[in-house]
Amino acid sequence: MKKTRFPLSRRTVLRGAGVTLALPWLEAMMPAAPSKAVPAPVRLAFLYMPNGVNTSAWAPEGAGKDFKLSPTLQPLEAFRDQIIVPRNLWNEAAKDGDGHYVKEAAILTSTRIQKTLGEDLNSHGVSMDQIAAQHIGNATPLPSLELGISPEATGVDLAVGYTRVYGCHIAWSSPTTPLARETNPRSVFERLLRAAEPRRDDAKDEALLLDRVLGDAKDLRAELGQTDRRRLDEYLSIVRSLEQRAESSAANGNKQWKPRVPLKGVTPPPEEPKDYAEHVRLMLDMIALAFQTDATRVSTFMFGNAVSNVSFRWLEGVSGSHHDMSHHANDAEKLRQYQLINKWYVAQYAYLLGKLRDAKEGESNVLDNSAIIFASALSDGNSHNMHNLPVVVAGKAGGKLATGQSPMYPEDTALSNLWLAILTAMGNPLERFADSTKPLPGILT
Amino acid sequence: MTALRCALLSLVAVGIATAAPVEGRAFLDKYCVSCHSGTKPAAGFNAREIAAPTAETDTYRWSRVLARVRASEMPPRNAPTPAADEREKFLSWVDGGMHSGACANGAVAGPIPIRRLNRDEYTATIRELLNVHQDAGHDLPADGAGGEGFDNAAEILSLSPLLAEKYRDAAKRTLEFAIRDSRARARIGIVEPSKSLTPAAAARQILDGFLPRAFRRPVTETEKQPFLALFQAAQREHLDFDHSVVFMLRGVLMSPRFLFLSVPPNPGPVARPLDDYALASRLSYFLWGSMPDEMLFDLASLGKLHEPEVLHEEIGRMLRSGKSMGFVDSFTGQWLGTRNLGRDLTPDAKLFPKYVSDAELRADIGFQPAVFFHTLLATNAPITDLLDSNWTILTKKLATLYGFDLKKLPKELDEQPKRIELPPDSHRGGVLGMSAVLAVSSYPYRTSPVLRGKWVLESILGAPPPPPPPNVPTLEEHADTQPATMRERLARHRADPACAGCHSRIDPIGFALENYDALGQWRTEDAGKPVDNTGTLPDGASFAGPDELRALLLARKDLFLRSFTSRMLGFALGRGLTLKDRCAVDAILAQLSENGYKSQTLIEGIVMSPVFRYQAGSAK
Repeated sequence: MKKTRFPLSRRTVLRGAGVTLALPWLEAMMPAAPSKAVPAPVRLAFLYMPNGVNTSAWAPEGAGKDFKLSPTLQPLEAFRDQIIVPRNLWNEAAKDGDGHYVKEAAILTSTRIQKTLGEDLNSHGVSMDQIAAQHIGNATPLPSLELGISPEATGVDLAVGYTRVYGCHIAWSSPTTPLARETNPRSVFERLLRAAEPRRDDAKDEALLLDRVLGDAKDLRAELGQTDRRRLDEYLSIVRSLEQRAESSAANGNKQWKPRVPLKGVTPPPEEPKDYAEHVRLMLDMIALAFQTDATRVSTFMFGNAVSNVSFRWLEGVSGSHHDMSHHANDAEKLRQYQLINKWYVAQYAYLLGKLRDAKEGESNVLDNSAIIFASALSDGNSHNMHNLPVVVAGKAGGKLATGQSPMYPEDTALSNLWLAILTAMGNPLERFADSTKPLPGILT
Repeated sequence: MTALRCALLSLVAVGIATAAPVEGRAFLDKYCVSCHSGTKPAAGFNAREIAAPTAETDTYRWSRVLARVRASEMPPRNAPTPAADEREKFLSWVDGGMHSGACANGAVAGPIPIRRLNRDEYTATIRELLNVHQDAGHDLPADGAGGEGFDNAAEILSLSPLLAEKYRDAAKRTLEFAIRDSRARARIGIVEPSKSLTPAAAARQILDGFLPRAFRRPVTETEKQPFLALFQAAQREHLDFDHSVVFMLRGVLMSPRFLFLSVPPNPGPVARPLDDYALASRLSYFLWGSMPDEMLFDLASLGKLHEPEVLHEEIGRMLRSGKSMGFVDSFTGQWLGTRNLGRDLTPDAKLFPKYVSDAELRADIGFQPAVFFHTLLATNAPITDLLDSNWTILTKKLATLYGFDLKKLPKELDEQPKRIELPPDSHRGGVLGMSAVLAVSSYPYRTSPVLRGKWVLESILGAPPPPPPPNVPTLEEHADTQPATMRERLARHRADPACAGCHSRIDPIGFALENYDALGQWRTEDAGKPVDNTGTLPDGASFAGPDELRALLLARKDLFLRSFTSRMLGFALGRGLTLKDRCAVDAILAQLSENGYKSQTLIEGIVMSPVFRYQAGSAK
């Protein structure tokens, strides 16, 4: 094994740089570019920011191809030609209910969630990312990757009558299955590693094991009543999909899929990030790594749960937390701080875009072959308003998206039309998605 | 008017006083029939023709009416809106009607839905089953909460594909560790093959002992087959004996019979008692958050567990055991919301450096509510001690944080939590004197009377205020001048009719707690000004400071007891409560008041209740 082909270990880097220097992980440790040109797949990521934006500083100046980035979008300056900032989008299905849960849970489904403290939990839809995953997920070891920072919120919100489960999930693989998220970067890394380097013997054993488990589960199913069977069927289905994956690895030794870049030798991220900012970066690094290796092509990430009250006092010029500032009541000082928080989030988005752009794929790069979306489910957080939702799409999705514009649409244009267009760009041209009418015009090439 | 959207819940009026029927009808006629009547009534609900609410008639329809009118979703925004007291009277008419006579036959059994073990239960169960002291579930995704607010609610424990992967990995990792550990081998019951014992026979012996414990009940020969087959397959692959056993047991730990709690359906028309094994699991997952121990299994196999005297003994034994910390920690952390401390909510590093730098203090703060409740249960102290008590749990660091003179306390303190009789005027009785509670009901960097008031209404009284109405003009928009203090700002808030309905109930409670800072330390001044801790509720009750607030809460303990009992019952059943379960709550409350609110009476009342021990029939 030629050492030079593999990236530096973190320790080596730290030794060279002087120990005090806190390098963002992966800065110097990304795997090498793919050796030969294999046609690049198209990827989709969605980054969710809670609590809306200071609307006075969000919208670009001008529209169409001739637009100027707003103060909040400033961190995207280097990507001006690779982004789309659609205007006047709106999620009709989420207009009633409460200020947060209804809107957050439905941002990728464009459906109206069931009001409940738990019983009859139902989003009444499948999220756009999962539609994509159902289409292309079989081509990769992981169909999709759901990531977050905060663990599932505690309790139910009695004041508005919703379980907080709704505030912790944007990805729904079925109307009753909010997808669990990984919040520990090390766990994600290990999962990627295992996915990228499966051992054939293990896969064979595992297929056998899961086959027996399924047999046993079916026997139990026969003993249960109708309602209980439905729950057990959900278990059967997740074990079956694991078994199918194991079987296909065992059968062909993963000949059909190979990591596009090797993961071996990449230093694992720390077990416990030191603070919120590092935690966010590490999770974004994991998305970059997953897309680069092709462990998955679909990912969603939540910067925080709905109503996130993460404190931003560590950020220069901010003295409070995100949700607190979002209820600015038109106070100039709170609005100023609200905008600084929004801008910080946009800068993290830009960080991921930079990583993906720097990851070369033949003549192009991972960003060019992706659609990376950043959005909040609210525009103004103070009034829980949804008019003119803050959304940015970056990357050309392998040439399918016409970037470098900020198209102005009629007031309250369906957000689902954007999702329909994105799905089309992902090679899955559906007739309809939720309440969509047609793919958002002007953004598909 | 938006003011009226904030109706309901006064601290006083949530009794079940039935308003005169004529008033209920008058409300329907005045506010509902314009849409909900005629040949095509809106939502198929005919407000003119529906029979008055009773326990039997149209309960689903009436419960929808109750929920929507209570949330001020009905009457809709563009229609005439009832005054707050009109709304309250109507709600109590519906509620009282639905409740009257509903419990004539006492509590009735409900469904027992299948549910998977949540992350904490999985970890505790693996620990008990294998005797490995590892956090086997640390990599599993955290579970959300449903029903009465807990993460063991059957309806919310959904199944993501990620979970299957994590179960697979956790089982493999833990068993590969266990097979090399002598204590774990003993607990699993590893039998070595020998000249007289073939590997297959040894594996069978292991499974004979292990499987009933893993599945928490006796198992049939057929149920053993898939796992024995796994052992054989591993042997054919030339794995050594230990690794073949691991392979077999990995299958057991992936089995839904291990991962889920379920009982066979009851097809008959009448409720039937759970069998003793199911009862053992129900008890142990309630009071320990883990699998039954040998004693419970033994009592179940003798068919004795359901006997009232035996249950009584077992409840006492289980509560005294250290394992009940699993239950207590989970229950209090979620009930009080203190589980969020150090997660989404961390006191500010600059303002509270010692919180951030002192891990021991952090742990003490986090543990105090759970250890307090554990002590309360173990000593059978009254539930009302949660509102106010003349004792608390302290460590040296907590006592210092709370400003106690260590020499004057009745016991010498160290790092171990101890029960301490509180001196008079300590301000530290009950949960409202605890740092964890006072911190999670604040912002990380300042207190908020609104947040604290809302917290007390929601967590203590179970009567949360509805959310602020949408599009209310904010204070600043119609203020000519900016008021100087929080109290002045909030006073203006309450003067605004759009806000007064709720804030006149929320804010006074919060102000009474202003003597505690955002970490719960005592203060008499805030930013150089004396703390003003006075407040008056809409019914005229006025008070100053936390001690008078405690006295007020104690004087109105019924609301607290009902809310607390409902939550505990929901936790015990692992599901959200239904209308029918209220009869069980009523019965338990009656026992509580007869027994001086003793905490073990509550636990026993729940366990002895038909909703805990019986399963409803599914045939009509």
